[in-house]
Amino acid sequence: MTNVATGAGTATTGAQIISEDDVVRVEDLRLSFYTTLGVVRALNGVSFNIPRGKVLGVVGESGCGKSQTGLSIMQLTPGRIEGGRILFREFNTSEEIDIVKLDKNGPEMRKIRGNHISMIFQEPMTSLNPCYTVGHQIEEAILLHQTQDKAEARRRAVDILRKVGMPNPERIADSYPHQLSGGMRQRAMIAMALSCTPTLLIADEPTTALDVTTEAQILDLMRELQHEIGTSIMFITHNMGVVAQMCDEVAVMYLGRIIERAAVDDMFYDPKHPYTISLLRSIPRLGVARGQKLESIKGTVPDPYSTVPGCPFHPRCPAAIPGLCDTVMPDEVFVAGSRTHTVRCHLYT
Amino acid sequence: MLNFIARRLVNMFFLLIVVSFVGFWIIQLPPGSILDVQIQRLRMQGGNLPESMIQALRDRYGVDDPFYIQYWKWISRSLQGDFGTSFETDQKVAERIYNRLGISFGLSLTALLFTWLVAIPIGVYSATHRYTWPDYIITFVQFLGLSIPGFLLALVLLIMASRLWDQPIGGLFSPQYADAPWSLAKLWDFIRHVWIAVVVLAIGATAGLTRVMRANLLDVLNMQYIQTARAKGLKESTVIWKHAVRNAIHPLVMSLGTLLPALVVGETLIAIILSLPTIGPLYLDALRSQDMYLAGTILVMLSALLLIGNLIADLLLAWVDPRVRLE
Repeated sequence: MTNVATGAGTATTGAQIISEDDVVRVEDLRLSFYTTLGVVRALNGVSFNIPRGKVLGVVGESGCGKSQTGLSIMQLTPGRIEGGRILFREFNTSEEIDIVKLDKNGPEMRKIRGNHISMIFQEPMTSLNPCYTVGHQIEEAILLHQTQDKAEARRRAVDILRKVGMPNPERIADSYPHQLSGGMRQRAMIAMALSCTPTLLIADEPTTALDVTTEAQILDLMRELQHEIGTSIMFITHNMGVVAQMCDEVAVMYLGRIIERAAVDDMFYDPKHPYTISLLRSIPRLGVARGQKLESIKGTVPDPYSTVPGCPFHPRCPAAIPGLCDTVMPDEVFVAGSRTHTVRCHLYT
Repeated sequence: MLNFIARRLVNMFFLLIVVSFVGFWIIQLPPGSILDVQIQRLRMQGGNLPESMIQALRDRYGVDDPFYIQYWKWISRSLQGDFGTSFETDQKVAERIYNRLGISFGLSLTALLFTWLVAIPIGVYSATHRYTWPDYIITFVQFLGLSIPGFLLALVLLIMASRLWDQPIGGLFSPQYADAPWSLAKLWDFIRHVWIAVVVLAIGATAGLTRVMRANLLDVLNMQYIQTARAKGLKESTVIWKHAVRNAIHPLVMSLGTLLPALVVGETLIAIILSLPTIGPLYLDALRSQDMYLAGTILVMLSALLLIGNLIADLLLAWVDPRVRLE
C-alpha cells in the first residue's frame, strides 16, 4: 500500500490478468458521444478480458458505460471509439482480430456479428421484429452464417428452439412475436443468439424486464446452454443477486472505468473498492440486520458532460484521501496476495 | 378472412344507402331546381313559354314530388343498374360518368404509383441520412412542394410546356388522333397531353408522404429489433429495407383508403385548368345546375371508392403487419 502509482494515466497493462485462453481482451477502450450539449466521455480506458467458457458479470449503476462496452465489442455503439483495442479470438484459432480496426459495416465485422459474437438485449417485448415469424428471424441468422439450404436452416431453427425449452417448437417457429409471452420471447432471443454457436454471447440485462420466476428460468437456461456449448458470456446487469447466480467473475464499473475485478466469491466476501463495498451493502438480505435502515451510496453520479479530476468516485467516497484522491487517478493494481483480484483505488496502492 | 371481407361488403352496402340518402337530401337543399335552369335557358332562346309546357316539364322531371319520392325513384332504379338520365343533357348518367371515369382513374392511379415510387425511396434516404446536406435539400424541396398550390404549378407548367418545349396543351389528344384507333403514336400523344396533370397531382402528395415516411422510419430505426437485426450480422441495406421499412409503412398504407376518392376529385381544379374531361369538372357542373341524378350518382360512387379504398388498405395492412391479422 505504500507503492504510489507511477505516472497517473493509462498504464493498465501492468495489472492485466494474463490468461492464455481469452476470447476477448479489451485494452484501454475509450468511447465518446458528441452531442449538441457537449462531449460525453462514456468509456475512459476500459480494460478487461473474458476467459474462454466463463461468465463475466459486468455491474454498475445506470450510465456507467456497461451497455456501451457491450455494444462497442459488437461495433454497434452510436458513439465514437477514440482509442484502445478489442482483441477477439475465435474458437480453435490463435489469430487475434482487433475489432476496433474493422469497418463498422464491412463484411468482416458482419461475419463476426451474430456468428462469432452475438447479443441479447434487455427488452424481450421489442427486440423481435413484429412483422416476421420467430422461425424466420432465427433462420435469417443461420442462412447468413451457416448454410444456404433453407430446409436445413429451418430444421436447425426448430432444433435450437427445442433446446431453449420451447414446448412445441414447430408451432413456435411459425408464431409471430406478439403471440408469445415475455419469457418466451427472451427464450426465442437466446435461441437466435445461440443459433450459430457463438464464441461470445453478450447479454445486456437479459432478465431485467422479466418477472422473478421467469428470470430464474432464463438464468438456469443460460447457465445450462453455456455449459453445453462452451460459449463465454459477458453478462451485463445491475443486479448483484443475478451476478451471484450466474457469473464466474465480476467486473464493477463506475463512470466508464472498471474499478474492481475479481472472482465472484472474492467480490462478495472480500470486496476492496469503497464503491463495491457500498454497492453490496445497499442490497437487502434476508435475516440480516433486521430493523436497520438499508445503506445507500451518498450523492449521485456526476453530470456526464463534466470530467472529475482524480478518482471519479472521490466525491461520493467515504474513505477519500484529500489531496490524493481528488487529484491523481489511481492505477489498477493487484490486491495483495491475489493473482486474480484487481482494484483501482489509492487505498491499495 | 373471406368471412371478414364478406361482412365488410355487406356493411358497405348499407352504409352506401345511408350516404346516398343524406347526400341526395343535401344536394336538393338549395332553392330552385334543374327545371329553373332549363326554363331560363328556353326563355333565353325562344321568349315566352306557355304555362302548359312548363307544367309538362315539371311532371317529366318530377320536381314537384316530395324529396323522398324523388329519392326512391332514383335509388330503386339505381339498384337495378339504371342511374337515371341526366337532366342537363338527356344522356344516361352512367354513360356520362363512364366516359370520364377511365381517364380519371388512369390519371389518379398513375399519380398514386408515381407518388409511392418517389416518396418511399426519398423518405428512406432522408431518414437514414438525417441532418446531412442531402436531407436538408430534400426537406426544403418538400416544403416547397407542399406550399405551392397545385393549380398554380399547373399554370406554370402549362406556360412552360407551350412556350419552351412546344408541347400541345389542353385536352387529351391532338385533333388528328382524337378519333384514331389506339397506336403507339396515339399513346405518345396522350402522354404528352396528360403528363402535366400527373406531375402536378403527384408532387403535392409526394411531398407529404415523404415527410411521413421519414418521420416514421426515424422512429422505427430506434427500435430494439433494428439493433437485433444488425447484431445478427445483416447488411445495413437489409436491415433498412426488410426490417425497418416494413414497420414504418403503416401510415402510407392507411392513407391509401382516403387517397382513392381524394385523387379522383382532387384533380378537379387541375382538370379544369388543363381542360381534361375527368370526373371532377363533371361533378362541379352537376352540383351547380342541381342535376340531381348525376350529382347523386357521383357522390355515391365517391363514397364507394372511399369504402373500397379503406377495405383495400385494411387488407394490405393485414398483409404487411401480422398483428392486425384476424384469427
